[in-house]
Amino acid sequence: MKKKVLAALLASAMVAGSLVGCGDSSDTKGGDASADNSAAANDSSASDTADSSASGDSASGDSASGDSASAEGGEAVEYGSGNISIWVAENMVEFTQKKAAEFFEANPDMAGYTVSVEPVGEGDAAGNMITDVEGGADMFGFAQDQITRLVSAGALCPVVNDNATFVTSQNDAGASAAATVGDMIYAYPMTSDNGYFLYYDSSVVTDPSSLEKIVADCEAAGKNFYMEINSGWYQPAFFFATGCTLTYDTNNEGNFTACNIDYVSDAGLVALKEMIELKSSPAFQNGSSISSGTNIAAIIDGTWDSDAAKEIFGDGYACAKLPSFEGSDGKTYQMSGFGGFKLLGIKPQEDAGKLAVCHALAQYLTSSEVQLERFNEAGWGPSNVTAQQDPAVQADEALTALAEQLALTIPQGNYPGDYWTLATSLGDDIITGTLSTSSSDEDLTAALQAFQDTCISYAQ
Amino acid sequence: MSGSMKTKRAISNAITYVVLVIISIVWLFPFVCLLLQSFRSYNEGGGGMVEYLLPKQFSLDSYVYLFSEECKFVRWYGNTLTIAVFVALFQTIVVLCVSYALSRMRFKGRTFLMKFWLILGMFPGFLSMICLYFLLKQFGLTQEGAIPGLILVSVASSGMTYYVMKGYFDTIPKALDEAARIDGASRARIFFTMIIPMAKPIIIYQALVAFMAPWCDYIFASYVAFGFSDSYNVAVALQRWVWTNDYQGFFTRFCAGGVLVAVPVTILFMCLQKYYVEGVTGGAVKG
Amino acid sequence: MGKDAGSVSAAKKESSVGRFFEALGNDLKEIGLTFAEGDWKTKVSFLIMGFGPLMRKQLVRGIAFLAAEVLFILYMAGFGWNYLKDIGTLGTVARVVNDNGTYSYNDNSFLILLYGILSIIVIFAFLVVWRMNIRENRNEEALLAAGKTLATAKQDLYSLLDSHFDKTLLALPVLGIFIFTVLPIIFMICIAFTNYDANHQPPTNLFSWVGVENFKNLFSFGTTGMGKTFFIVLGWTLVWAFFATFLTYFLGMGVAIMINKKGIKFKRLWRTILVVTIAVPQFVSLLYIYKMFANDGLINSYLMKWGWVDAYIPFWSNPTTAKILIILINCWIGIPYTMLITTGLLMNIPEDLYESARIDGANGFQMFRSITLPYMLFVTGPFLLTQFTGNLNNFNVIYLLTQGGPQSMVLSNKAGYTDLLVTWLYKMTVNDTNYRMAAVIGIMVFVVTAVISLVVYGMLPSVKDEEGFQ
Repeated sequence: MKKKVLAALLASAMVAGSLVGCGDSSDTKGGDASADNSAAANDSSASDTADSSASGDSASGDSASGDSASAEGGEAVEYGSGNISIWVAENMVEFTQKKAAEFFEANPDMAGYTVSVEPVGEGDAAGNMITDVEGGADMFGFAQDQITRLVSAGALCPVVNDNATFVTSQNDAGASAAATVGDMIYAYPMTSDNGYFLYYDSSVVTDPSSLEKIVADCEAAGKNFYMEINSGWYQPAFFFATGCTLTYDTNNEGNFTACNIDYVSDAGLVALKEMIELKSSPAFQNGSSISSGTNIAAIIDGTWDSDAAKEIFGDGYACAKLPSFEGSDGKTYQMSGFGGFKLLGIKPQEDAGKLAVCHALAQYLTSSEVQLERFNEAGWGPSNVTAQQDPAVQADEALTALAEQLALTIPQGNYPGDYWTLATSLGDDIITGTLSTSSSDEDLTAALQAFQDTCISYAQ
Repeated sequence: MSGSMKTKRAISNAITYVVLVIISIVWLFPFVCLLLQSFRSYNEGGGGMVEYLLPKQFSLDSYVYLFSEECKFVRWYGNTLTIAVFVALFQTIVVLCVSYALSRMRFKGRTFLMKFWLILGMFPGFLSMICLYFLLKQFGLTQEGAIPGLILVSVASSGMTYYVMKGYFDTIPKALDEAARIDGASRARIFFTMIIPMAKPIIIYQALVAFMAPWCDYIFASYVAFGFSDSYNVAVALQRWVWTNDYQGFFTRFCAGGVLVAVPVTILFMCLQKYYVEGVTGGAVKG
Repeated sequence: MGKDAGSVSAAKKESSVGRFFEALGNDLKEIGLTFAEGDWKTKVSFLIMGFGPLMRKQLVRGIAFLAAEVLFILYMAGFGWNYLKDIGTLGTVARVVNDNGTYSYNDNSFLILLYGILSIIVIFAFLVVWRMNIRENRNEEALLAAGKTLATAKQDLYSLLDSHFDKTLLALPVLGIFIFTVLPIIFMICIAFTNYDANHQPPTNLFSWVGVENFKNLFSFGTTGMGKTFFIVLGWTLVWAFFATFLTYFLGMGVAIMINKKGIKFKRLWRTILVVTIAVPQFVSLLYIYKMFANDGLINSYLMKWGWVDAYIPFWSNPTTAKILIILINCWIGIPYTMLITTGLLMNIPEDLYESARIDGANGFQMFRSITLPYMLFVTGPFLLTQFTGNLNNFNVIYLLTQGGPQSMVLSNKAGYTDLLVTWLYKMTVNDTNYRMAAVIGIMVFVVTAVISLVVYGMLPSVKDEEGFQ
């Protein structure tokens, strides 16, 4: 019974929250009011459909909507009080603080809680959570590649019942798949933009559709082309391009049960050779951070760097999907890669009231309304299907390039932590010249074989 | 003959000067670069890395940012200063006590204690990081309480670094103590009224070394303070700007922060350099 | 030589073990005698500590003993026993899910092990105090029997400032070292025999004892074993420590000689310039230098701009150049130290030694080889040894520059070509939470350091030859 009441409250909180968010934004920025209103309208219709789909679903859905009425009728639930700590990326701290305040304003019954938002980036968050679950934040943003690690360390609370329905109904299919380990959802998707594409300086790079031409332009201009080939995240752009696969199966505990990989093949060899070829260019630099690069003409990077890219390239700023390359076998391959997601997770809680508040807050922070605002604030591409349809999102240059690229990529599943290390080792072997243009096919195949064997050994 | 000696000496001196000038350039070059980069305008390269040395546009952008509302640099600086002052104070006291006891008094277990500590020192410190973290957590000295926690840990284990000061005490003649004891002075009295005033140079050395260490502590400090940016020290905060991709365009700010950290510490060091040299030389010879 | 030192110390150890058992036997005998010969106050003191002294009006001592016993019982009953009883299994029930979706945490292997060890140590400490209590009773009885008076409370307290001043001075430092150094080290040694890693992480999961499995893993050379990586990393650690120590030592001495040279002016200025590197925190200077030497960094861009090289030099991305560069940059860090140290010592060498050598027609290098160097090596032998062991664990220089990279498929467990054992250990702890292997590596670092220290210490001229430098 209690659970149903909570679920109902969450649903009403959602609607109320989005209404308040809308009122606020129209107050502060009059010019944008119409756009915001339409977004809000979209949003409320979306949550309506979510509700109706849930109620049409089964008996439990019915009773949930029935309870919703009684909750609005004034049944009070004790949530208790306390502090909810949230970790988000540096540039999201103020935003999250503001949104959380709005949430509690709209939900006075949960206002016993305060929030403290700390800048802990997606990279650090998982590591810190795993070091000390109890000392970690109650809610934290992380990139999806960390999810299995977090699940097996017990740092994520499952998202079940109506909350799970919220995740699957509101977000695109890839995003809800990314939040799933085994057959359980463990997080709320925040963005669908964790992919990469090409930023380039249009005054240097004339044809962004061909890797060879980009590199040639960079060489001619004495400028640099950046790609982080020693990262397990960027590397598959080559391997998946030639048709290789690398995925893992997981069970409910976050353990890896099987590895599907075919890097030891002609396709794998072509991909590896292309990476070696790229590295041999004097214009190539390993990296994916705009501000640690110098003399950049083109870089393969994600949306989070779009501001920095605009700053660096100035008038020449342009984006495109990844280029294609001509492989050693003479065929042309379109570069692929991972399409990933950023998620918001909740730590396992010992207090039921706090758990409910955390879920409600997480839903609000990943609702279409807030995702859209987050996009306006920092250019984070929404995972929410309604927000994705927004004209502003559709018009964004970086996101358009990303969307084009994402059509060519493989939704990133779960990978063991050791995979990323191994991929760095493979990339470093290319960068250090251990694998070079003079390596024989046998040597390269041996390296791929070692890579593949080790990948398989990570699955028990 | 003396003429040729003279020219020979002049030539060798000239070569020495050249070498010394080159060495000076090499040694100062990174600091000059750091200083120049810290004054680069944010409009130029967006605060990131650039491949040239001289900024085209000088400005105080990075410094302005450090002292602006959105950056907690002042807080981090204050944290580090607090840690450094308290560590310098307490660590000096602890080392003084240990050194005096080991140098002047003969008690059961003295050599055992010294050997035991020597062996303990051979274990790498990082080994116990996770354990220290959870120990401190039991006392509430992590995250919010990280500052006192860090002070506690640095002070608590400092007794093992008595070598330099004990070596210094060993050079103070024991006859002085014995004369005072015949006059009826207690050990404590001798310690406070005779030894401490005589040990001023080495006390200053000890305090200086203790004061400088926290400015560079980012490993344990980041481990203890994680997820709570109010408890960071400058090293923890600034190295994130270089290593974490979340911080785009923070390179010049890192440089500016580095300059602000380096300048006062360097000035203090230069003022007390005499004592430092005395300390390291004495410590090295004693081994 | 090393073998000699080893056998000598082994013999010494044997005798000290013998002595220990002898002392233990004597102790037990004395305890028995105390009970047999003691009066009823003493006999009660066996159970109620401090009872005898209290009855004999030794209030301070009596209360101290009694308080120790009360505290011990409170500690064990209220805290210690809860953990100590589970130390064999390290817990059986970890985390459970409640019906309403919340979680309850139960056994925490980490805390069980930590406080279990603490409790064992507390028990030993209590036994020692109990033994002191027995001896105190015996001494008091003996004194009274001899017709002497016992020390008053005032005298007891005063002795803490005089004859027992060492106890006052050392109490806090020793306690601090015990809690924050000894206890963690014992704990981590124990961790090496458990399976505490990412998959067995309290409070969600339990870890348990696995015997020497981790050591086997370290020394296994199969595809999953770490043996090969361990020896590659160990090899570089030793090479690094050698160069980092001796290169900075000789170059630093050279710089000191140059600055001290007759006729060179601005000695203070030169020294001050060098010393800046000691004053500026390393995380600032080294992180900046790392960026300077990046493939796309300042140095490479100027080298290319001036046409000195065609393509960038892969300073950090080639293992060999990275290693060389690290050693050179370490000179940049280390030379000022050795310069400061050797400056003072060089002035101690009697000038007439050089004069007479000069009359014999020796040139500068010959004088350096036959006078300066032997003297310096003799005086700074122990310093070199501590420098060497310090460099084995020189975390900052490596981690702030390369973080151990570049990695390779040849090396396992995140190790890179420039990783030292200690940076590898750090990465395992922080990035992988692989505490079990980190603990094993930590023990290995200790073994390497201890062996080198023992062997070299025995070979040091200043230790061998107490007579000093002739």
